[in-house]
Amino acid sequence: MLWITLREMRAHTRRLAGTGLAVVLGVAFLTGTLVLGATLRANFDDLLTEVNAGTDVVVRNGTDLEADIARAPIDAGLVDRIEAVDGVAAAEGQVSGYGALLGKDGTAIGGNGPPQLAGSWVTDPKLNPYRLAEGRAPRADGEVVVNKGAADAGGLHLGDTTTLLTPEPVPVTIVGLATFGDADGLGGVTYTAFDLAAAQEHVLRSPDRVSSVAVRGEDGVDQSELADRIGEVLPTGVEATTGAQVTDEATEDINRDFLNLLTTFLTMFAGIALLVATFSIYNTFSIIVAQRTRQAALLRALGAGRGQVIRSVIFEALLVGIVGSLVGLAAGIGVAGLLKGLFDAAGFALPAGGIAVTGGTVVTGLVVGVLVTLVAGVVPAVKASRVAPLAALRAVATEGRGPSVARVAAGAVLTAAGVGLTLAAVIGGGGAVGPAGIGALLTVIGAVVCGPAVARPVARVLGTPLARLRGMTGGLARENAMRNPRRTAGTASALMVGVAVVTLFTVFAASLKASAGSNIDQAISADVVVSAGRFGDGGVSPELTAAVAELPEVGRAVGVSRASVRIDGDTKEASAADLGDLSRVLDFDVTSGSLADVGDGELAVSDNVAEDFGWHQGDTLTVTFPDGAEEDLTIGATYDSLMLVGNYLLPRSVWEPHAVQVIDPLVLVDSAPGVSVAKTEAAVERVAESYGDPDVADRAEFAAIASGNVDMLLTIIYALLALAIVIALMGIANTLSLSIHERTRELGLLRAVGQTRRQVRSMVRGESVLIATFGAVGGLALGVFLGWALVRVVGASAGTIEVFDLPTTRLLVVLAVGALAGVVAGIRPARRASRLDILAAIGSE
Amino acid sequence: MSAAAQALGATKVYGSGDTAVLALDEVDVAFERGRFTAVMGPSGSGKSTLMHCVAGLDSLTAGRVLIGDVDLSTLSDRDLTRLRRDRIGFVFQAFNLIPTLTAQENIVLPDRLAGRRADAAWVDQVVAAVGLGDRLRHRPSELSGGQQQRVAVARALAGRPDIVFADEPTGNLDSRTGAEILGFLRRAVDDLGQTVVMVTHEPTAAAYADEVVFLADGRIVDGLAAPTATTVLDRMSSLGA
Repeated sequence: MLWITLREMRAHTRRLAGTGLAVVLGVAFLTGTLVLGATLRANFDDLLTEVNAGTDVVVRNGTDLEADIARAPIDAGLVDRIEAVDGVAAAEGQVSGYGALLGKDGTAIGGNGPPQLAGSWVTDPKLNPYRLAEGRAPRADGEVVVNKGAADAGGLHLGDTTTLLTPEPVPVTIVGLATFGDADGLGGVTYTAFDLAAAQEHVLRSPDRVSSVAVRGEDGVDQSELADRIGEVLPTGVEATTGAQVTDEATEDINRDFLNLLTTFLTMFAGIALLVATFSIYNTFSIIVAQRTRQAALLRALGAGRGQVIRSVIFEALLVGIVGSLVGLAAGIGVAGLLKGLFDAAGFALPAGGIAVTGGTVVTGLVVGVLVTLVAGVVPAVKASRVAPLAALRAVATEGRGPSVARVAAGAVLTAAGVGLTLAAVIGGGGAVGPAGIGALLTVIGAVVCGPAVARPVARVLGTPLARLRGMTGGLARENAMRNPRRTAGTASALMVGVAVVTLFTVFAASLKASAGSNIDQAISADVVVSAGRFGDGGVSPELTAAVAELPEVGRAVGVSRASVRIDGDTKEASAADLGDLSRVLDFDVTSGSLADVGDGELAVSDNVAEDFGWHQGDTLTVTFPDGAEEDLTIGATYDSLMLVGNYLLPRSVWEPHAVQVIDPLVLVDSAPGVSVAKTEAAVERVAESYGDPDVADRAEFAAIASGNVDMLLTIIYALLALAIVIALMGIANTLSLSIHERTRELGLLRAVGQTRRQVRSMVRGESVLIATFGAVGGLALGVFLGWALVRVVGASAGTIEVFDLPTTRLLVVLAVGALAGVVAGIRPARRASRLDILAAIGSE
Repeated sequence: MSAAAQALGATKVYGSGDTAVLALDEVDVAFERGRFTAVMGPSGSGKSTLMHCVAGLDSLTAGRVLIGDVDLSTLSDRDLTRLRRDRIGFVFQAFNLIPTLTAQENIVLPDRLAGRRADAAWVDQVVAAVGLGDRLRHRPSELSGGQQQRVAVARALAGRPDIVFADEPTGNLDSRTGAEILGFLRRAVDDLGQTVVMVTHEPTAAAYADEVVFLADGRIVDGLAAPTATTVLDRMSSLGA
């Protein structure tokens, strides 16, 4: 039997190529994701290992908040004590903190993820991962070495003067350019180094403290042995850690904060692409098998068992799966490069380096690809085996059959159950995400199962304008789309799933933006907002707030600092501000106490956490600060709003004594009485220019900035979903090719009685557009419903998304793109159909 | 009497070099208006090739084909298609109808492809002639083989073509149904003034024609006016000998 299959496959390589391509694309995406993850992981590992390559022991503050905020500094006098320890070859105190360097255009270089670092130039070359490429090391205050990548990005050269924001603006002259090993930098990290004294003054604001001490041991001394010995001379609260351990921690941080999220995110989209590919493959196999019914029947009549028929189809699927997966693996490496480019283009700076292909990636890609193809091939195989041997003797109609009653009933029940469950989850409130998810899944499955039942009437309606506009040609296109509802629905279902996901994200993003806009509008009463550090990094100096407050146009300026504390063993992100002033520029819904009265020894918490932990006004919490200090703080007030400030609010006077650097991501400004918002904004803008040019916006503009992130994310999601759509369209093209093959004689007859080539092309394209539109309309309906449910359920559970927004224009664009894509998918089949030789077509079996 | 279609020195070679097959060898033939001509010959005689070339479905290697006074070799594919649509009618042995269209839609297909309305009175006349009145709304799958072929004949006539080509129109039918179809073709010529050229290998079918042209080895070898089944059979056996 297998040789018959092989012979058959060789005779029809073309239609198998279409099936194979769906496997190739799905596997390529999956492999690309895995390769990208492994590559980034390997690159980060290399870089982070290099950071501490020559360092045997790091001495640092023992308090770690595992937050974005650096550890607090330690006593600089410890350096001498450490140097005296037996086995220490060299010890050097160093400074490291936040510092954004301004480029030629006056805006900060870097950001968007990788840290912007300022610190001290380490003089011992073995302890310093950076190497001077040009110029010299800094010797005096105001002289800095900058990593080459950052200098290039900012258009800066040796000898240039610019400003470093620590976050206070410090004028600096570039005296040296450094490379990180051989690279221009540590990924996208920007690095600016003073000499030690200047770094202590500008970054730590303390001449007798350092961020950490890097230690090099004498030859033959074990790292952990050395760390133990050093640990004995350290005061409590300061720890000695091996270089290897520090590298491991950094790797773990990157994995936790970034890589795991990224790969999970990408894998989700690879999953969607594979799902769509499965539909396409299933559909293609169904058609191929249907077209071979007579052959299968003949084989059965000649004595082939059902198992043999099943095996022959499965064998074919297996071969397609293996070949497609192998090609997909190779293509995946290219996809990894593309994905990396996509993220680079979107502003994420990812480290450079070779592509890493692991054994796990290869195995996963192959197994998933082959399994998907097999699963998609089994059902058609079983159907093929059920054909009666007698069918070979009759002319078997391979088309025209509608869905069975059982199928329609099952589909209706599934859809009803899915919709019902989803609605119940939404109406029930309480953010029942689980039931809503199951409901959504059932709805999608139900819609796919029901597809054939609605394909005929829907195609009739959708095709009406086509029949009107294009006369007989359009009418024939409509009839062709209606003649085999199972095939039309099967082909469209892949696109339907793709479009549904696109729509879901579009609706969700629009609602998120609308909610953010409405929240910001409700929460902020300030006229002007200064904001920096979109990704939770960076910010402006409190000096800016002070300078703005001095302006005659300004009535009140309130800076909000990013803070981080530990309560009951967990690190909490917090904000610090002058709470009395803050309550005048933000509309807090204060539920107990008064924000203005929250002073020393106190803090304010949101109702959310108060409820979760059972706290009330007047309760006392033990709070650990980054420098290791502990304080008992009393809850002075509770509030309902989360907008912009989060769950914990500290008075500035409580936070600042423990902060290494005070960085304000947000400054809220009120106009002086009688001054227009525009005037205030212009005045603030002038002051802000010398502080790295942060965004200065009125309320409406700020809402737009806040939703800018949503748009960027949506763009990336669209790009990732595009592949699923491409797979779906190839499925349509493939189905059309197969249908045309099946209708060769009919096409020949049409040509004989006078259909022009142009009309043939128009007819095939019309059918393609109808199938695509059917899928797009279904997907749109599903996506809008599920998007609505998602918004409601998430809104009920998280409270951050309260407005449901239906972005009509965008959805119309999605629909139009879907229909237009049908034209594209139809181009090749249409051309093939129009080129059929008439006589051969009429004479063909 | 002028010719509805004629072939002049029509030569058709399939393949090239050693494998070349001469299907038509400088055939000269004219099909006159208002006549029913049967083209006969053994398998491989070139009768189907002749019909395909005269009908503009295939092109000649050498020589000319005229439909009226239009030389087919001068036409582009698009013009040729339009000529087939507007001036030629076809009846094939099998698979004559588009399965997604009703009988009525199939009949007016060429007119609709041209984007014009069919001549309703004429179509009614044709439909009445082939006796399809009550089956017009049915699809081909709901019609018997004979009914399908009647629809095909109606379609061939509906555009009031200059000439109708029928390629073994009774090949797939039983003799009684076949006789009906041949009767309609005969009536199309007698009552409706149409021109019909029919390729067949059945002497009884050829007997419906006004004259018979015999082909063998790509050449016209004989002709017979006012044939009967017996005279045709005689002539064929003499040719075969």
